[in-house]
Amino acid sequence: MWGDSLLIVFISICTAFLGEGLTWVLVYRTEKYQKLKVEVERQSKKLEKRKEAHGDSLDKQHKKKIEREEERLKNNNRDLSLVKMKSMFAIGFAFTALLSMFNSIFDGRVVAKLPFHPISWIQGLSHRNLPGDNYTDCSFIFLYILCTMSIRQNIQKLLGFAPSRAASKQGGALFTTPPPQFK
Amino acid sequence: MSTKNKTSDGASKGKVTESLWTKAFTSNTEWPDKEEFLDVIYWMRQAIGIVLGLCWGLIPLKGFIGILLFVAVNAGVVYFYVSNYQNIDEEEYGGMWEITKEGFMTAFAGFLVTWIIIYTGLHGSESL
Repeated sequence: MWGDSLLIVFISICTAFLGEGLTWVLVYRTEKYQKLKVEVERQSKKLEKRKEAHGDSLDKQHKKKIEREEERLKNNNRDLSLVKMKSMFAIGFAFTALLSMFNSIFDGRVVAKLPFHPISWIQGLSHRNLPGDNYTDCSFIFLYILCTMSIRQNIQKLLGFAPSRAASKQGGALFTTPPPQFK
Repeated sequence: MSTKNKTSDGASKGKVTESLWTKAFTSNTEWPDKEEFLDVIYWMRQAIGIVLGLCWGLIPLKGFIGILLFVAVNAGVVYFYVSNYQNIDEEEYGGMWEITKEGFMTAFAGFLVTWIIIYTGLHGSESL
């Protein structure tokens, strides 16, 4: 059982590197992406600073400037996600295939023992396709998801591919209400 | 707040990481670059997660008390580090909540993985 769980950790490390490698080949190294990323980061920081400086002032000119910059940032953010999107789809398909392959390899096998009883809505995942009703038995998919959650993001951060905080904070406003001029 | 002493990427990476280590372990450090400080918090969280996972697996701690203790220790250490050791004004970072949730989910997943794997290896054959 221990061999299986270690193998799963190894698999998720490999797939994380593979995923990042593929994304690097398809997205990160392209000039368009790099240009857009630098631009978005610069604008997000600038906007944040400006908001900090004139956040509460009612000066119309400042407000207009901030709005205009927000608009530009939003457009750049949208372009950035478009650049990412195509290859993300390709990688997503490849990984779904890989996942289903591993799923069938580990089907019905207890790969680890949980040191706690998972709550009911997790049990469907942690006890997927496992015989018996000992809910401390752990299925492949649960351990794999946990590994991916921790390993993938840390690898992204280590390699410097994770989006900067300022950009993701500003980018979070992408799907909120449209600015006044569109109303 | 000035950001004049922002380090250029890759130019002197070795020097930067070294100074980051010393900065992280020196109390009351000035953090002109917010990202740097949040990165320190992030990696500290990951380290705590893995260390706690190892400990809980070795003891072995079982049940939800393990998860609760992890959350408490993790949040407590970060809170102590931010407000007592570094004396940071949390409002600068958008409140304590923003700092508390920095890298929490990743650390939690890392903690669970280490806990489960060590527990499986050492006590997997016993029943809960």
